[in-house]
Amino acid sequence: MRSEGASCFGVGFTYSQPERQVRVLQDVSFEVRPNEFLSIVGPSGCGKTTLLRLLAGLLTPTEGTIDRTGLRAPQGGPPPMVFQENNLFPWMTVLENAAFGLEMRGIERNERESRAAELLARFGLSGRENDYPYQLSTGMKQRVGLVRAFLCEPPLLLMDEPFGALDCQTRMYAQQELANFWREHKTTVVFVTHDVGEAIILSDRILVLSNSPAYVVQEFETPLPRPRPPMFEGDPEMMDLQAQIFALLGFTLNSRAWAAK
Amino acid sequence: MTRKVLQRLWLVAALLVSWEALSRWRVLNPLFFPPPSKLLAVLGPLIWGGSALDATGHTLTRTAIGFAAGIICGALISAAISSVPWIRSGSEPVVSAMYASPRLTLLPMAMLIFGVNDSARIVLVALSTMLIVVIQVSDAIRGVNPAFVDLARNYGASQAMVLRKVYLPACLPQFFTALRLSFGRAFVLTISIELLSAGNGLGNMIWAAWQTFYIERLYVCILLAAMIGLLCQMPFRVLERHFTKWRGASA
Repeated sequence: MRSEGASCFGVGFTYSQPERQVRVLQDVSFEVRPNEFLSIVGPSGCGKTTLLRLLAGLLTPTEGTIDRTGLRAPQGGPPPMVFQENNLFPWMTVLENAAFGLEMRGIERNERESRAAELLARFGLSGRENDYPYQLSTGMKQRVGLVRAFLCEPPLLLMDEPFGALDCQTRMYAQQELANFWREHKTTVVFVTHDVGEAIILSDRILVLSNSPAYVVQEFETPLPRPRPPMFEGDPEMMDLQAQIFALLGFTLNSRAWAAK
Repeated sequence: MTRKVLQRLWLVAALLVSWEALSRWRVLNPLFFPPPSKLLAVLGPLIWGGSALDATGHTLTRTAIGFAAGIICGALISAAISSVPWIRSGSEPVVSAMYASPRLTLLPMAMLIFGVNDSARIVLVALSTMLIVVIQVSDAIRGVNPAFVDLARNYGASQAMVLRKVYLPACLPQFFTALRLSFGRAFVLTISIELLSAGNGLGNMIWAAWQTFYIERLYVCILLAAMIGLLCQMPFRVLERHFTKWRGASA
């Protein structure tokens, strides 16, 4: 699979509401390197989701530019996004949901459904193809969302806290599945999370955003070799990295709180 | 199965039995409240003689034509209301005012415009249906979660695809509820119109029975209208259930 990068130059975004203007991003610049797993962490409500929606092309930046030229390649389409909530259409069965991306790419019914069924089986969902989302657990729904995104063989995959609603165990399984897929297919992933540990386990690189209006405070490399264990507790280097990121998030929060007084 | 039937019909049976008993023991005046067994004797000839079927046919034809026209106009108008903001803002007070006023009062006006004939009656039924559909469907369209629109667009869905894959299925449950409700209203309105002005139909039959003080026939016609109204709801319930099975227990 051909993999793609993207880059943001001085990207800002302001939501225009009837009463006021809300600026959520300010001068965000970073690069997404081909084949890398990039995580974005930051304080709650800092604009991480907005940044992903900009990368997906669902929003247009009010300042700066995003270079996504590589993504408009044939068959590319907009990069698929995996959302935290409302990720599945409730009126479609598991199979129809999983095959939706292929359907939008004009792939004929038998082929897309057999491909979807095959990948669903790999994600432990065989026998559930004709269920509706309300019949699934949160973890299963999230896996169907992953299957749908993976089936499109995206050169760039955008994920907005996809495991945020999962319990600890399911989340660890899902992380492993994602890491395996990423290693097998050598795609590029941009992964937004509020979980610093998750970011460290999965990523090559981590961007830390500031409070809103957000900018990139610092970026970290995660030098842990792959395949990685599901947890890094006991690895002093990683514990130190986690502490650094937490300090950065805490520091940003505290200085703002201080300034407010 | 028997248990289910019992659960549904015990009150109906109890009412019929007590009515029969009270009427036979003359607690109720049998002239005004003839016992159900006597009604049954009237119902037979009414059906075999063809006059009940004839009246039902007229009523259902009016209902069905008005209903179908109302559904089509209602769906088109809701689409217009939902896609053009100034059509919505302008039509909201008009629709609400029309919905709040009793439709039957518009019958004289409809007759002035269309003449004393079936088109005036059918237009009124269509109007009533249309109002319910417009209110329910434009409400349903407004209620579609924008997250699903984003989701579809994110996978490269065109505008037409978003309509087909998101708006249509998301609105179907409320659309079928609107169908069921408005069919019931259309049927009742048709009978009311026939009471006032029509040479045939169930409403006319009820009124004629009253005028000639044919009490058994009066009751039979009223019960017949109720049964037909009930039966006509069933296909809509089946459709509603079929298109909303994805909602699970909440449906």
